[in-house]
Order: sequence, then structure tokens, then C-alpha cells
Amino acid sequence: MDSMITAENLTKKFNGFTAVDHISFKVEKGEIFGFLGPNGAGKSTTIRMLCTLTKPTEGTAVVGGYDIIKQPEQVRKVIGLVAEKLILYPQLTAVENLKFFGKLYGLRGKQLEDRVKELLDMVLLTKFKDFPVGGYSSGMRQRLNIVRGLIHDPKIIFLDEPTAMLDPQSVQFIRDLIKNLKKNGKTIILTTHIMEEAELLSDKVGIIDHGKIIALDSPENLKRKYNCESLHEVFLELTGRTLRDSASNNMHIRVVRGF
Amino acid sequence: MNFSNNFKSSLDIAFKDLLYFWRMKMLFITFLMLPVILMFLFGFMFPTVGTSNIYSGKIASPYSNIPIGMVVEDGGELAHSVADQFKQLTSSTGLLKVKDFSSFEVAREKIVAGELKGVIVIPNGFTEALKSNRQAVIIVTMDDTSSQLAPAVYSQILTLFKMISNGVSASIIKNYGSIDASFMVEPIVVERKNLVAGTTSTFEFLAPGFMALNIVMGTLSGLAAAIAREKEQGTMDGILVAPVSSYAIITGKVLAQTIRGMVQAFIVLGISIAFFGVKVYGSFLLMLLIMFLGVSSFIGIGIIATTIAPEQETAMTLIMLLQIPSMFICNILFPIEQLPKWLQYIGKMMPLYYAADGLRKVIVLNANFNQITWDITVLLLYSIITLTIAIPLFRKALTR
Repeated sequence: MDSMITAENLTKKFNGFTAVDHISFKVEKGEIFGFLGPNGAGKSTTIRMLCTLTKPTEGTAVVGGYDIIKQPEQVRKVIGLVAEKLILYPQLTAVENLKFFGKLYGLRGKQLEDRVKELLDMVLLTKFKDFPVGGYSSGMRQRLNIVRGLIHDPKIIFLDEPTAMLDPQSVQFIRDLIKNLKKNGKTIILTTHIMEEAELLSDKVGIIDHGKIIALDSPENLKRKYNCESLHEVFLELTGRTLRDSASNNMHIRVVRGF
Repeated sequence: MNFSNNFKSSLDIAFKDLLYFWRMKMLFITFLMLPVILMFLFGFMFPTVGTSNIYSGKIASPYSNIPIGMVVEDGGELAHSVADQFKQLTSSTGLLKVKDFSSFEVAREKIVAGELKGVIVIPNGFTEALKSNRQAVIIVTMDDTSSQLAPAVYSQILTLFKMISNGVSASIIKNYGSIDASFMVEPIVVERKNLVAGTTSTFEFLAPGFMALNIVMGTLSGLAAAIAREKEQGTMDGILVAPVSSYAIITGKVLAQTIRGMVQAFIVLGISIAFFGVKVYGSFLLMLLIMFLGVSSFIGIGIIATTIAPEQETAMTLIMLLQIPSMFICNILFPIEQLPKWLQYIGKMMPLYYAADGLRKVIVLNANFNQITWDITVLLLYSIITLTIAIPLFRKALTR
């Protein structure tokens, strides 16, 4: 199997605080990689580095065959990002949003029209395609937000908490969508706090805590290894049962930038 | 990614920003209203005033019917005749409304009460002085608390008495025989010829400054808002994660804001032409060139301010910090000569000064390219230097 992502000693420091500490891992082609960890463990920073949105302090990664430091433009062409914050303009309609981002990836004319139509059909939003996105329900918005990241048919898709705070119907729809993407040969990096979801979807999970990867295996192997009934139990076993902020004496809080 | 793709991306970003702006209806309407309100406000604040010419009896003033007290202490006939002439002149021109008072003290009370703006006293001994071939004195007291009005009205009163005085001396000289009286009174005469042929409008000098201010500041705050908003919304990540260069992103953003700024500038120009008698004497293309350079000279500064600011309001406030003082020290509202030397130097370091200067020269004085080379050079240098700093900073700040 060829690796779609190879991270080597990936490190990010903010003003002396190490958010991500020399992590190395591989994600194989066609895999769903569940990237798990408590709040503030370093998940988002890792994803931002892999997406070329933040420069690593040390180490590097090869994403889709391209180095994130040396070939960021190439990396950007092969990845799709579905961030936790919606990447949608509320004043623009679904079509306008998708077309704008499609154009940034060089899609034009009929090719773009067809792709937009296909994606809107995929998430059942064709009916509402000409309404400004600001009026959408959370579920509709998230469905659109997901296909926005797929506009250029990327090989590698980053999904950052795609089902957070949605109703069960939307959650089910999105999980099916993710399974379909895998079926079509996409490589998916999924972060979530819902362990059932990670267990259900992931071929392999990586658990990160305090900037370090503390477990890296399939959900089945992890359950067996730690003798737990669910991934949820494994997670608590590994990262502790107390609240993160009360568990540690030197919990780092990044100062909200007032300057 | 080649050049043409990047250029297309710039256009897409610009189009998206303008579409977004169009959808924000209230912002859009306010944006169009702003130059309209500003222009009418300043149009009336600095009204169109022609030039005074005491020899032809023409007196130009932005004020009319200003209440002035008149106290004739002297009982002589010449004192009364001068007072009557003065009243006649003022009533025919409508400049002042003159009311008689019995004493200076009574009239002074009225100034304090705010009913009068000044008092003219023709003191005792006025007639006698004239009759015995001595200079006669008239005493004028103004309400000095009206800082703008007092000197303007005072100079009008002065002009009126000068006219009366000339008349008096002419009639005295006539008694001496055949010499030309006007030659005796004033052997040297000053006549003013306007810099621009035809009627001059004070506004002609203000309008170009406002145009420059509008495009530069409109673009600057628009850019700050557009970048900061996307940063906060999270949509900037969507653009940054696409294969588009920082140059293309900035070009697109700037393009949208420049178009906005130009729209405002043309509203300013349109109103100035339609309502305040401004004429464009110079080349339209040269005008566009300066407007464009004015914008680009400020863009770098705008980007630096926006990228270092943690959120939208801070970015806007930073821009305001730049905007408000430059209105006052860049020769827009007030002549820069009014300022202390050191402040003049600061004003002349701002690109806005050169944008306003260039526009003024082109619009009012029909300057050609060679006559504004210095303005263009400064703006160009500013653009190059600030953009060289700003563009690398842009991605770095957004991908920290």
C-alpha cells in the first residue's frame, strides 16, 4: 500500500509551548484515519500543518506525494479541507459559494456547473441552491460545508468534527457520506470527539495527547490490547478520566491575542 | 500555478467580494450615502465665494444679515452721513443687519447676550477731526468668541469703511482742482485675477482633496474589514488552502475595494460638478492614474494593519488612527501652511498628501504629466515599498 500521508517528527511550538511534539505517522491510501485526542491535545494544529495553513517548527510531512514545506501549492491541489468553522459566505447562495471555491481550483464553465450540480444533488440541497446560506439550518449548512471541501475532487479529505452538534438524521447522513467517499477510494482524516463514530468509521485511529501520539492502531486491536469493550473506554484509559484542565498542573492556555 | 490562472483567481475573489458587498444591502446603501452627505456638508460649510473688489463695490462673503450694533456718539453731520452711507451699503448687499444703540455699553450687553456679533462706534470728535483736516477714527468691537465669523465680518466692515473713506477723500480732493481724485486717493491699485479663468469656487480646491480622501480611506477601511471578516469567519482558510498565491488573494481583495473607492470618488466628483460649480479642467486619464496610485500607495499600509490586528474592530480602529489625522494634516480640509513646521513634515510624509495634490493640480489647474511627476513618483515609491513588506507578511500572519 502506498502512503497518502507520511508525517515525520512533525512539531509546532507557539512561544515556547510545544503544541505538537515530534509526531510521526502514516495514513494509507483509501483509509479512514480517526485522529482523536482531548481538547487542546494538538489535533487541530496537526491538521493545519498538513493542510499548509501553519508552518511546522520542525519536521515535515509528505501529503499526496508532495512535501508540505517545499511544495505547498501541489499539496493544496490534492487535499480538501472541511474545517470545524464553516467555510461558507452566509450572504451568498449555495451555488455562489460552491462556484467561487470551484473557480479557485481552476474549474470553469460546464465542468464547474456539472460539478456544482452533482455535489448539491449528493447532499440533497438542490431545492435550496439559490437561497443565501445564512438562512440554512445547521444540518444543511454542514452538508454544504462538506461538499465545498470536495469541489475539486481531492484525493485526501480532512474532516474536522463533521458531525458536531447536529441532529441524529444529519449525523447519519454525513456518516453515510463519509463511507461513500471511502468507497470511492478517498483517503480521509477524521477528527471527532464521538468515539462511537470513530470506532464505526475508522480503519485506524491515532490518539494524540499533550502533542504526542500515544496510540496508533485499528480500533479492534486497541480494544483487545487494553482489554476494553469500546474505543470510548480505550480513550479514557489512555488519556485519563479527569477533566484535562484539572488533571494537569501546568496546563497550557494560549493567551487570547489582544495585541 | 501560472500567471493567467492567478489573475483569474484575483478576478474571482474581487467579484465575490463585490457580490458579498452588494448583498449586504444596508452597508451598501450607507456606503453610497456617505460621500453624498459628506459633500453636501462640506459644500455648505465652505460655500462658494467669489472675490471681493472694493473698486467695483463687489463684496463677497459667505455670511449674510449678521447683526451689528451702531453707536453714533458724535452729533456732527459728517458722523451721521458716514453712518447712513454704511447702513445703505450693508442693506443693499444684505451683508449686515445694522441696528442703532445709544451707547457702547448697551450694545456690548447685546454681544454678551448673543444678539449682536459686533459694535461699530463713531466716537465724539469724528466730525471735528475731519473738518480740521485730521484723520477721524471709527472703533469696531467684534464678538471674538465666534472664532471663524469675527475676522471675516470684521474684514467686511473694514472694506465697507474703506469704500466710504475713499469717497470722502475723493470729495475733499475735488475741492483742490483738476487732479484725478482716484489717483490721489490710491495711486496704486491691486486687482485680482483668478488662477482659473471664469468663476472660481472655493469648492474646486476642496473637491479633489475629498476625492482622494474618499478613495484612499474607503479602500483602506474596506480592505481591513474584508480581510478581518474572512479571518474571523474562517473563510480565509478556505481561500488559503486553495492553490492560489498570496499575490492573487491580495490583488483580488484590493481590486474589489478599489472599484468601491472609485465609485465613491465619482459620486464626490458628480455632486461637486452638479451642485457646487466644480469643473474638471484636466485629463480624465491622468485623474484615474492618480486615483489608482493613491489607492495602491495605501494598500500596503492597510494590509500591514489588518494582518497584525487580532480581530476586525482592532483593524478598523487602527485604520481610523491613520485616517482621522491625515484628514487634517494632508492638505485636505485645511491649508497645510496653518500647521507647525514639524506637523507639516509629517503631513508631507503621508501618501494622501500627494494624491490630493496631484488630483487638485489635474482637476483644477489642468496640469500635464510633467507637472505632477513628483506626486506620481512619491505615490509609486510608496506603493512599491509598502507592498513589498506587506505581501509576505500577509500569508505569514494568516498562517501562524
